[in-house]
Amino acid sequence: MSEESKKNKFNVQPGEAVGIIAAQSIGEPGTQFVLRVFHSAGVLSLVSTKGLPRLIELIDARKKPKSPAMTIYLEKNISKSFDDAAKILKKIEKIKVSDLISDFSEDLEAKTLVLNLNKDKLEQYKVTEKSVFNKLSKNTNITVSELENNKLKVKLKKIKKLKQPKNKKSDNKEAKNDQEEKEFSTKATRVAFVDLLNLIIFGIPKIDKAVLKENNENEFYIVTSGSNLEEVIKLEGVDKSRCYCNDPFEVLNIYGVEAARNTILNEIKTVLDEENITVSVRHMSLLADTMTFYGLIKSVGRKGIAGKKESVFARAAYEETVKHFINAAVFGEEDKLRGVAENILIGKQIQVGTGRVKLVIKNSDLKKLREKPKPAN
Amino acid sequence: MQAEKINFIKFTTLTPEYIRKVSTVKVIIPDTYNDEGYPIDGGLVDQRLGVIDPGLKCKTCGGRSKTCPGHFGHIELVRPVIHPEFAKTIYMLLQSTCENCHRILLGNEEIEKLNQKLKDFILNEEDYEYEDILESRAVSSKTKTIKLCPHCNTKQRKIKLERPTFFSIEGIQLKADEIRDWLLKISDNDLKLLSIDPKTTRPENFVLITLIVPPVNVRPSITLESGERSEDDLTHKLVDIIRINQRLEQDIDAGAPQIIIDDLWELLQYQVTTYFNNETIGVPVARHRSTRPLKTLAQRLKGKEGRLRYNLSGKRVNFSARTVISCDPTLSINQIGIPIKFAENLTVPVYITQWNIEYAKKFIENPNYPRALNIISKQGIRKRISDNNREEILKIVSKGDIIERQLIDGDIVLFNRQPTLHRVSIMAHEVKVLPGLTLRLNSAATTPYNADFDGDEMNIHVPQSLEALAEAKYLMQPKDLILSARNGEPIMYLKEDELVGIYLLTQDNNEFNKQEACEILAGIGIYDLPEPNKKTSKYSGKSLFSMILPDSLDLEYKDKNNEIKIKKGIVTSNNIITEKIVNDVLITEIFKTYGSDDAAKFLTQASKLSLIIAYKQGISIGIGDYYIHGIETEKQAIIQEVEQKAEQLWYNYKNKKLEPLPGYSLKETYNTTNILELSMARNVAANSIKKYLNSSNDAYLMIQAKARGNIFNFIQTSLFLGQQAVRGKAPSRGYNKRLLPYFKKSDNNIMAKGFVKSGYSDGLNLIEYFEHSMGARDSAMSKSLVTAVSGYMQRRLINALQDLYIDENLAVKDASGSLIQTEYGGDSIDPMYEKLEEK
Repeated sequence: MSEESKKNKFNVQPGEAVGIIAAQSIGEPGTQFVLRVFHSAGVLSLVSTKGLPRLIELIDARKKPKSPAMTIYLEKNISKSFDDAAKILKKIEKIKVSDLISDFSEDLEAKTLVLNLNKDKLEQYKVTEKSVFNKLSKNTNITVSELENNKLKVKLKKIKKLKQPKNKKSDNKEAKNDQEEKEFSTKATRVAFVDLLNLIIFGIPKIDKAVLKENNENEFYIVTSGSNLEEVIKLEGVDKSRCYCNDPFEVLNIYGVEAARNTILNEIKTVLDEENITVSVRHMSLLADTMTFYGLIKSVGRKGIAGKKESVFARAAYEETVKHFINAAVFGEEDKLRGVAENILIGKQIQVGTGRVKLVIKNSDLKKLREKPKPAN
Repeated sequence: MQAEKINFIKFTTLTPEYIRKVSTVKVIIPDTYNDEGYPIDGGLVDQRLGVIDPGLKCKTCGGRSKTCPGHFGHIELVRPVIHPEFAKTIYMLLQSTCENCHRILLGNEEIEKLNQKLKDFILNEEDYEYEDILESRAVSSKTKTIKLCPHCNTKQRKIKLERPTFFSIEGIQLKADEIRDWLLKISDNDLKLLSIDPKTTRPENFVLITLIVPPVNVRPSITLESGERSEDDLTHKLVDIIRINQRLEQDIDAGAPQIIIDDLWELLQYQVTTYFNNETIGVPVARHRSTRPLKTLAQRLKGKEGRLRYNLSGKRVNFSARTVISCDPTLSINQIGIPIKFAENLTVPVYITQWNIEYAKKFIENPNYPRALNIISKQGIRKRISDNNREEILKIVSKGDIIERQLIDGDIVLFNRQPTLHRVSIMAHEVKVLPGLTLRLNSAATTPYNADFDGDEMNIHVPQSLEALAEAKYLMQPKDLILSARNGEPIMYLKEDELVGIYLLTQDNNEFNKQEACEILAGIGIYDLPEPNKKTSKYSGKSLFSMILPDSLDLEYKDKNNEIKIKKGIVTSNNIITEKIVNDVLITEIFKTYGSDDAAKFLTQASKLSLIIAYKQGISIGIGDYYIHGIETEKQAIIQEVEQKAEQLWYNYKNKKLEPLPGYSLKETYNTTNILELSMARNVAANSIKKYLNSSNDAYLMIQAKARGNIFNFIQTSLFLGQQAVRGKAPSRGYNKRLLPYFKKSDNNIMAKGFVKSGYSDGLNLIEYFEHSMGARDSAMSKSLVTAVSGYMQRRLINALQDLYIDENLAVKDASGSLIQTEYGGDSIDPMYEKLEEK
C-alpha cells in the first residue's frame, strides 16, 4: 500500500464490516430486478440468461451455465478484414449433416443412407459439396460415394463406434459384441443413422451459434452462444489475450484463478449494468475475491463459503442445523467464536466494526503508570 | 451469578458414565402428575429435575421456579439403542474396520503414512484451513473398498444400512448391542486415523445405553383455562420411551420369546429415533393425539422458527415502539417526530454524576411529562417514582444512581423499517416530540428506508447504554449517510412536489416582488434578501435559491441536459436548476466541501423552499390534463402506420422477401422484427405528443421536473397502451394458433398480437382488457417471484461475507484471519466516498 493512500481522508476505516456492506449492496437492489419488457433493442444480441437468474448462477458457481457465450477477438492484422474474419467464423460455427440436407432416404438392409444436399443451405453456410464429401470421407466408420444431383451415398462400415457408448456397458461384454457385430439390429442402425445426421462436420463442438460483429473501431469480432475456450484459442488468427468466455470454470481451467476471478467480477458487473443498477466495483470485487481466494471457485451458499466456515454455530445457524452439530460432536470440533454469527448466538460483542476495538490499558493500570515516579534526566 | 467470558465451545458426545454422574433422578415412571396434581417421584416432572410451578421448591438446589436452572435426569435403557443421527457415522466405522479383529482396514505402511500426516497436522494446526480438515476425513472412502483385512486376513462381508437404523451383514441383522461391542473394540489409535479424537468422542457412545432426560424447564407443561394440564411434546415422547422400556424389561425378566423381545426392542428404537428427530427419513412420523406431528429435539433447533435462527440469532428487545409513519416537511432529515404518548413511555437512562445531579433532580421533581419514571440504586434495585415517594427519593438520590427519564427533544433513537435490506434501513434520528399518533419523517429520508406513507409502519429503539448512544450518534445519523455505501451517490434527496417547486422557482422568467420574496425566505428561516434584479427591482427565483447555498460555494457543472454556474454562493447561469443538479451535483458538492451538517441543512431548506413555491403556485392533476385537443387524429395516424408496417412485414415474410438477421432463422426474424416495430409505436407517439404539451399542463410539468411519471405513462393514458408483453415477448399462449377465441387462427393483425389501441382515458374494450390482463398478471407474478428469490440470495450473500473486515493495514480478512484482499478494493477507498474521490 502506498503511503499516499494511507493518508486519504476518503479511506475505509479499519474494522469496517466491508463484507456485510458488499453483500447488502449487491443484494438490496435485487428486488429491482424486473424482467424488463423489450430489452432486445439490439436485435443482433444472442439470447442469454440475464438478470437475477444469471446473478444467482454466478454466485452459486454453477458448473454448467445455462447460456455459455464467448466473445472472440481476432489478431490485429486480420481483424479489420471482413473476409478474414468470415473465414475464422466458418471454422467456429457448428454445422451438422442435417443442417445441409433437404431430405434423405434410408436403406436399413444395406445400411446405407442417401443424403440429398440442399444447394440453398450449402450456400447459406458457405460450404461446398466437395468439402462435405471430404469431411465425411475422413470418418473411418463410413464409406461415402458420390451420386449425381448433389446426392451422397453413405454406407455404414461399423455400427458400434457410431453408437452411443451408453449401450455398450453390460457384464459379459465380449459375448454380446460378437453377436451384435454379426447381425446388428435395425434399431442399432437407426441410432447410427441419427448419429450420422447429427454429426458435426464443420466447426467447434459445444458452440451452437456464432455471429460476426463490428465495433466502433471497425474491428470485426465473433460472438458465440455456447463456449469452448480450449478449442477456440487453438485456432490460428484468434487473439488469445482478448478471447473472452463467460463461464468462470472454463476460464479457471485454462487461464487460472486470477482470470476466473476477473470473469466473475466482469459477469456480475454486466448483469447489474444491464439492469441499470449501479454498484461500486469494490463490492463486486470483494465478492469475487471471496469466492476465489482459496484457489478454486467456491459458491456462495451451503456447499461453498457459508457451508465451509470453521465455526460450527455459523454453519448450524445457516442451513442443515442438525447435520453440523452431529458432525461437530463426532469429530470433536471446537468453535473458536471468531465470526459474527456465532458471537451473536452466544451473546458476545461481534468482532467487526467498533466491536474490534479493544482496550489496551485498563484504567487501573493507567493509574499505576502515573504513580510511577518519572526517571530523573 | 457472575457470567464468565466464553472463549470457545467444544462439541463432544455424552458417555453413559457422565450421564449418570450429572443425573439427579433415574426416571422410571412413565407419568407426570398424580391425581392431586402433585409431581410423581421418579416421574418425568420429579421435583429433583427442577420446578416450574410457583410455590414448589426444587429438591436438588432448593431454588424456586424463577431461580432454579433445572437439572438433568436419566433413563437406563434395558437394551442399547442406536442414536439415529449417528447412524451414518456408525456405518462408516463398521465399513472401515475389520469384523473380526476390529482394526482399521489399512496396511501398516499406509497407517504409518497417515500418522505422519496427522502429526504434521497437529503441529501446524494454524497453517491448515478448515477444508484441509474436511479432506482428512475422507480416509474412510478408501477403507470402504478393501475386502480383506490386512491384519488378520479375514474376508470382509458386505454391511448394509437400511435407513434409519437397521444394520445387516449379508442379510443377518446386526443388533445394537453387537454394534456397540464392535465399536468398543476399535482402538484409539485407529480412531485417530479416521479423524476422530478418542479423547472427546468414543464411538460406542453413538449407541445409547442411557438416555439423558432434559430438565422440566426445557419442556414446561402449560395449564389450560379449564385447569387441565397439557404436557410438552418432549415429555410425551419420553413417556413413550419409558413405557416401552418398562415393558421390555418385564418381558425379558419373564423370559418371553425372542420374537416378542425383538419387537419391543425395535419399538424402543423407533421411540428413541423420533425423540431425537421426528422427520427421520424412513420412519413414520410420531403424532400427538390430535394427529399433529410432534415437535421433537431436531425440530426445536431447525429452520427459521427453530432455536438457532429464531431465539439465538434474533433476540427480543424492550424500549421499542411501532406505529404508522407520515410525512413532515418541517422536520430536518436528521429528525424524527415522535408522538407524545410514545415519549411518555419510552425511557432513557441517566447515569447520575456530580456534574449532572441537579439536572437529574429536575426530572425526579417534575410530576408531569418530562419526568423520571424509575430510579435504579447503586445496588441495582429498581424503584418506580410516584407522587408518594418522590420527596423521599429526592433526598437520597446520589452519585452512581441511575434514573430512567422520559424521552425528550434531542434524544437519539434508532429508526427502522422492515425489510432491513441494507444498513441505512436503520438510522439514528434526533427526537422531536410532537402531538399526534404517527411517527413522522422528512420525505427525503424515505428512500433509504424504502418507505412511503400509504400505511407503512416503522419501529423505534431507544439506546440504553452510553456505548450504544455514541455509536448511534457518530455512525448512524442520516446526515452522515446521505451518500449511499452502495455506489457513493446521494440516497437522500428531494422528490415529488419538491422537485416541481424547484423547477417552478428557477424557471427563466420567474420573479417575485419584495413582499413575496420576504414571505418565501422567512418561511425557511432566512431573514436577509438577495440582490434584486436591477431592471425590474424584483427578485428572481434563482437568487432566492442562492440564499440556501453556502456563501463560498463555487461550482461549474455542465452535461448534455444540465448546466449550472455558481459563484460565491450565487447562481449565475440562466438554465433551470434540474433534478440532476439539485439531487446529485449540489448535494455531493456541498457534502464534499462543507460536510454532512451543511448537506443536511441544504436538503432541509431546499425542500421547505420548494414546497413553499409549490403551495404558492398550486399544482394538481386531473383527468382533464390527459385530454389533449387534436390528438385523436395523430393517434389514428400512428396506429395506421404501425398496422401498415406490420402488414408489410407479414407480406415480406410470407413471400420470403425478408432478410434473415444474422444468427436467426426467418421465423425468428419475423417475430423479433414485428414485436420491435409494434413496441416502437410508443416511441413514435412520444415524439409527436410533445408538440401538444407545455408546462401549463400540470401532468406534463411533473414529467418535465422529473417529479413523477414519464412520457410513456402519459401516452398510455391519453393515446394507447401499445404492445403488451408476456415474458418479454408478445402474448402467444392461449388457444391453438391464436391468443383468444375471438381471433381467427394465425391472424396477423396487430391486435391479435397483443397491441392495445385504446388508452386508459378512453377505456379498453373487452379483448384489449384480456390482453392487458395477461401482461399485468405476468408482471405481478414475476415481481413476487423476484422478491422471494432475491431475498434468499441476499441471505446467502450476507452469510458468506459477514465475517470480512478491514484490518489495521487496510487489508481485508475473514474470521479465521485468511487474507482476502491485500488492499481493500485495490485503493482502500471507501465506496461511500468514491464519487467524491473522483471529482
